[in-house]
Amino acid sequence: MASEQSGSRRVTAGLLSAPLLWLLLFFIVPVAFIALYSVGGIHILPTDPREMSFDAWHHFLFAHSVYLSLFWKSIRVSLTVSIVVVLLAYPIGYFLALCVKKRKYVLLLVIIAPFLTSYLLRVLAWKVILGDKGVINTALFELHLRSPDHPVSWLIYSQFAVMLVLAYVWIPFVALPIFVGLDGMDMSLLEAAGDLGASRFRTFLRVTLPLSAPGVAAAFIFVFVPTIGEFVTPQLVGGTRGFLFGNEVQDQFTRALDWQTGSVLAFFLLLVVGILMALFGRFTQVRAVQP
Amino acid sequence: MPDEVGRLLRRRMGRRDLLKYTGMGVGVSAVLAACKQASSAGGLPSGSARPSISAEPGDLAVYDWAGYGDGSYYPKLEQANLWQAYQDQTDDTPQFTLFPDDDTGYTKVAAAAGGGVPFDIVHPCAYRFKDYVDLGVMQPWDTSQIPNYSQLNPQLEQFGNINGQQYFIVEDWGFIAPLYRADKVEPQEDSWSLLFDDRYAGKISWINTLEMLVIAGYLNNVSNPWEMTDDELNAQKEFLISKKPLVRVFWDQSYELFQDFKREDVYIGYAWPDAYAYAKGAGLDVVYMNPKEGRITWSCGMGLFNNTKNYYHAHDYVDSWSATKAAEFLVGSYYYGHANTHIDLSGVSPDIVKALSLDDLSILEPPNSNPESYIPRRQDYAEAWSEVKAA
Amino acid sequence: MSDLAASRGANWTLRIFFVVLVLFLYLPLVVLLVFSFNKGDVTFPLEGFTTSWYRLAATNPELLRALERSAFVAIASSLITVVLGVLASYALVRRSFWGKPAFAALVFSPLVIPYLVFGISLLVLFTAFDRFLTVTMGTYIGLGLHAVTIGHVVVALPYTILVITPLLERLSISLEEAGHDLGASPWQTFWRVTFPLLYPALLSAFLIALTLSFDEYAIASFLAGSSPTWPVFLFAQLRVPSQLPELVAVSSVILLSSVFLVVIAEIGRRRSERKYAIEAL
Repeated sequence: MASEQSGSRRVTAGLLSAPLLWLLLFFIVPVAFIALYSVGGIHILPTDPREMSFDAWHHFLFAHSVYLSLFWKSIRVSLTVSIVVVLLAYPIGYFLALCVKKRKYVLLLVIIAPFLTSYLLRVLAWKVILGDKGVINTALFELHLRSPDHPVSWLIYSQFAVMLVLAYVWIPFVALPIFVGLDGMDMSLLEAAGDLGASRFRTFLRVTLPLSAPGVAAAFIFVFVPTIGEFVTPQLVGGTRGFLFGNEVQDQFTRALDWQTGSVLAFFLLLVVGILMALFGRFTQVRAVQP
Repeated sequence: MPDEVGRLLRRRMGRRDLLKYTGMGVGVSAVLAACKQASSAGGLPSGSARPSISAEPGDLAVYDWAGYGDGSYYPKLEQANLWQAYQDQTDDTPQFTLFPDDDTGYTKVAAAAGGGVPFDIVHPCAYRFKDYVDLGVMQPWDTSQIPNYSQLNPQLEQFGNINGQQYFIVEDWGFIAPLYRADKVEPQEDSWSLLFDDRYAGKISWINTLEMLVIAGYLNNVSNPWEMTDDELNAQKEFLISKKPLVRVFWDQSYELFQDFKREDVYIGYAWPDAYAYAKGAGLDVVYMNPKEGRITWSCGMGLFNNTKNYYHAHDYVDSWSATKAAEFLVGSYYYGHANTHIDLSGVSPDIVKALSLDDLSILEPPNSNPESYIPRRQDYAEAWSEVKAA
Repeated sequence: MSDLAASRGANWTLRIFFVVLVLFLYLPLVVLLVFSFNKGDVTFPLEGFTTSWYRLAATNPELLRALERSAFVAIASSLITVVLGVLASYALVRRSFWGKPAFAALVFSPLVIPYLVFGISLLVLFTAFDRFLTVTMGTYIGLGLHAVTIGHVVVALPYTILVITPLLERLSISLEEAGHDLGASPWQTFWRVTFPLLYPALLSAFLIALTLSFDEYAIASFLAGSSPTWPVFLFAQLRVPSQLPELVAVSSVILLSSVFLVVIAEIGRRRSERKYAIEAL
């Protein structure tokens, strides 16, 4: 009995060791390094300060630094994008899950397929569409809705462009969990509500929506979290006004040569995300774990 | 002499040449031209005796700007003009890694400095030369191994002389000046102020580096914009922040600026001469201004890392870059200047020659222009610029 | 019954919305396709039809090398991820041990770290490690494809576990017990019984990790060093003239082949799921 147990423990240890080691070494340790770097525990560049101190944190959080206000700006942008994306993706998920009988999965694939093109090139295509002489503006000129000297110029190199492109990229990705959540829904509930005299709209409000809430919340987090750290899209279509927190972090590491401040910013982002996830975890459980 | 060697390698050898060169001491050149395979095992043109190049691993790792040999701007011409001679001589193909700008390039090297820098050659600009040397990763060139070096302008080569040693071989130089669409823009005067002109809000593009602070300094009559005091730096920072709403986009690559000009997203930009070249090539009506505060001139050069295993390959590469062929390519395609003083400018349009003073190198001295200089307080400038971008 | 979920009016509205959204989603792709045949650069105006970009792309060494690197990283990281994913899923589903919730949290946390922060963390890790190596042994490894592969494994792992665990849960444990009773060692049980049944999930997991890695830019941008992967190469080429239309051409090809692959995988997966669901009853 004892040997069976210890043998069983050995099997468990054997199973766990590889993934655990990998994650420890290549996930926990690097993040710990960043935290250390932010207080001067590590220094790699010649310009890094050599003593440990909380100066960089102090400067970021309390000295009215522009970086903090940039962070809030990015939160606002991410929030807007996430809400818009969920609002647009929900009808798609709803439609596919509940209103389409045949070819559900084919249509889903149609929605997902654009994902398979390079993200960067899709963003480039938007540059062509949104530019002052791009597809949209040229169409407006041809329709005589605007004169060629006054194109709609806030389409590109603006916060709008960043939000549009991000929404574009995320909608298919977000429709998926919403679809999955609604697809598994028990139709008899809707029948029952109908039998009890509720209109379809009321049924939606009182039955479907609450039931799909976990899926929606997951979808929201799915978009919100990565978007806060987004730096590629702003770099390509954001112009000067679309500059976001992620860009600042990237700059600190690639051109400003200030890895300590960069670490402060990066770790701060991680902390915020961690707190959000902890709060979110109160409302949902990870399904795969059965203790 | 190097031109003749170049001609030989291209097999344009006549009978008189044959006689002439067999008359030369070692007759190495004739052997070279006749048996190209043998040349890769040793035997090199004039210069001090040196070990066989095949002892080195090859695959020269060049860390450089885009369009300087990697083929991203002119796929065939870059190779043919900049390093074909190198390949013919050493049978090696250089491997390029690109950096988008000096700051990013330097950061990568600085990060790798304690370990090992994975490149053999780097091509930064003069105001970064001292930074690289201070990292302790560079070694000086042996100019006796670079036959074409004698053709290079000594005034320019002075920039590459740090602490008494030739750490960098200056190859290319050019300007920084406002570029604008003459059919859409009427500057009030020829001045850097055009980049900050309220009338053209939303149609202006700045470069995405801290050099904008220097430009602001020149505009606002700071005595030495490359070494500003705290107050001066702050004032420029505030000035840039106040003018930022006028700017549509910051550019990283010169070609991006041109694309924005072509798409008509931008009418005014802080520009290098190559953007001017592309714009003209695309038929746009553009002017490359000579502002009253003076254009800024930059010069860039090749540096050698001290952990390189391709010492002689590197020298041959720089030799290829220093030749008139390379020079004429840069002038004709990018409207850049080259340090080689034996360039034949007859192939270049006289307007361009005049606009960019390609025949008169005195343009590089103040007060005709403002050369890029070493920035001692680079970290502070970088911080200020970060704040401008984040604001 | 679809009329339970929406009235006819609502149904039509949703349908129109769906179509509009699909058009919106495909507009940039159409633009890209158009420009892949355009004689000039990827800006208006159009300059004439040509297929030369496809030809040039097929013979462009830098481009092909970048694709190769991405393929290598994608395949290597996906294989490792699936192996680690199976191990972790097995531990989560079939075993009980102290600290299980913590392990689960650890395994899923790469889902929420912004890739920007993660890429930077790995950059710092590898750079610091190189310093250490240089000081102690006089050598260094540097950044490169190995670093990118390692990073991709970390971020793909949660997805693979999310895909494998449901199927693992559904597979009756009695099948494995039967194998054990018949005298097979745990290894043999795994290979002969569990693995074939788990196969659809493993394939899905592999494909998910593959797609994730192939198009991944953020992490690779910090770690690729002097060997750019396809997205890193693409990004660098977005702002320079000559090769852009070739890249657009390549992407059209990639899009079509990916769609093809996904369709095949989906058909395969559903066919085997139906088959094994019946068997598992």
